[in-house]
Amino acid sequence: MANTIITADQTDTTALGHINVPPAQTWNYLRINDIAFDVPTPHFVGDVYARLPQLFDKVECGIGEDAVTWMAHAAGDARYVEVRAGEPHDPIVIDVDAAGCDVSDTGVLVRSGAQATIVACSHGGAAGATSASLLRVIAEREAQVTIIELVACNEDQQHLDAVGIEAAEDAHIEMRQYALGGGKVALGLCCNLAGNASRFSLDSRYLASGTDVLDVNHVIRQRGRNTRADIVTTGILADSARKTMRETIDLIHGAKFAEGSEIETVLVTGDDVVNKTLPVILCDEEDVAGNHGASIGAISPEQLGFLGSRGLGEEEAERLFARALFDDAVIHAVDDDVRQAVLARAAAVLGADVARDIAEVLGYDIREA
Amino acid sequence: MSDQLLTINGLSAGTEDKPILHNISLGIGAGETHVLMGPNGAGKSTLGHVIMGDPLYQVSEGSITFDGTDITELGPDKRSLAGIFLSYQAPVEVPGVPLYSFLRTICQMRPELKTTARKFRERVGKIADQLEIDQNFLTRELNVGFSGGEKKKIEMMQLLLLRPKLAILDETDSGLDVDALSIVSRGIEAYRKECDGALLMITHNTRILERLTVDCTHVMVHGNLVADGPASLIDDIDAHGFARFEEALAQKAEA
Repeated sequence: MANTIITADQTDTTALGHINVPPAQTWNYLRINDIAFDVPTPHFVGDVYARLPQLFDKVECGIGEDAVTWMAHAAGDARYVEVRAGEPHDPIVIDVDAAGCDVSDTGVLVRSGAQATIVACSHGGAAGATSASLLRVIAEREAQVTIIELVACNEDQQHLDAVGIEAAEDAHIEMRQYALGGGKVALGLCCNLAGNASRFSLDSRYLASGTDVLDVNHVIRQRGRNTRADIVTTGILADSARKTMRETIDLIHGAKFAEGSEIETVLVTGDDVVNKTLPVILCDEEDVAGNHGASIGAISPEQLGFLGSRGLGEEEAERLFARALFDDAVIHAVDDDVRQAVLARAAAVLGADVARDIAEVLGYDIREA
Repeated sequence: MSDQLLTINGLSAGTEDKPILHNISLGIGAGETHVLMGPNGAGKSTLGHVIMGDPLYQVSEGSITFDGTDITELGPDKRSLAGIFLSYQAPVEVPGVPLYSFLRTICQMRPELKTTARKFRERVGKIADQLEIDQNFLTRELNVGFSGGEKKKIEMMQLLLLRPKLAILDETDSGLDVDALSIVSRGIEAYRKECDGALLMITHNTRILERLTVDCTHVMVHGNLVADGPASLIDDIDAHGFARFEEALAQKAEA
């Protein structure tokens, strides 16, 4: 990064509260309404750092204003990318080296009718280190945006990751989110479907193992008419990992004929996991459809029967699901550095042999650490 | 008669609250092709699933011996590893699992099929070409969003990859258009030629049998195996249906 002004051995810290607060809260004793982080206090060393255009200030990110402010300050610099229609462009890659305490602040403006692919990858880690990635995207009319967000940090790392999206009329946003590790991770996401007929689809996948803490807040605001939001979340909780998932679809007054759906499937393989889910559909409009579904626990009997008929017992099936998560992340990585970050995390979680096999079966080389 | 591969002896089975199969006895020799026919609801698919060890069904009486081992108490994974394959009539969707991951994992489970990633890719690519499966399918989630025909092709791909000693194909032809049926038939033919495996075909459609030499035909009615015969029995059923078998079973019950 251009300026890294926080360090792993820093003793002065700031308490960040109200992270990942859902739009509709519940009983405090459930301890699901937010999460707090102690983060290094940013130091300014005299540089004049670049800020994003004010246009991005209004983009809601799901992670909370205090966290956004901290990330913008701690980044020390900001990156602004504008994508115009008809101009060929490579994927916009945001690389956050967690071990180096990187904090990135990126704003992408996708002009009317343009197409953009954005990959935000945070990886690695070091004891006591904190890293963060803040990505704000404005998609103008008929823009098509693909976002791939990966967090593949080590178990001793704490990380904050926020994505905010504004979608204008007929803009289509397709997002894949992979949370593959990190000692304490907060993922905040908000997509504001402001324009009529704008679309948002999110395929979110996670694996939390060991003593990982994963805290997620997905917020979809559906303001425009005929908007459509589909959130599919699948995850694996192992060992004594703790996960909190908040998913809110907010069907705002005026969003006639809007449809939103959210579904979460969690595979619990550890005896000591803590799994909290807060699915909410807020509705202030009559002609709308909101759906929610959840499946929490073991692999379904039908799937177990089918996988069994192919030679996989329950334990092998669980291992398949874990491997598949990394396979899928490698398949969608679009950039070799990102792919290598996923493979490095796969090696840490599944073993070096499995990581090598994933790479080779899919036809990629794996870089030795 | 070739060596006996599968022996079912006096088998009765069903779900927790409903008996479905009654005193079934049937034998399949190594490399033989058997056809199981019967009206809808006769219990044909149930028999296939019970042979596979589907936990949805419980065996109340009788035994199943495969390749010299009593497998009646074994789970489906052990039966699969022993060499039994069941092609599902409605293959189960497994979201989150790319087809490639699944195929690699089920092959690596078998010592005889373990191979390097490069050779595995080559093998999968060859079978995909053989079955006219788009290579892009390999990175898609297992059976998710696939058409009926695509799902059946993926089942055939697993059959050719796993090279089982016995393949039970449960109405693999159902819902297929002419082109897909032709491709699936080629897959079955390739399995017979390349693996010399035995087949138990559960079907209503005799077109899928055109490329095969049928050794034996079985007829099932109301959970009972009511007739065994040569390949010509298929033509007989095609011409006259199952009425006479149902009547004979009813008379037997009355007596």
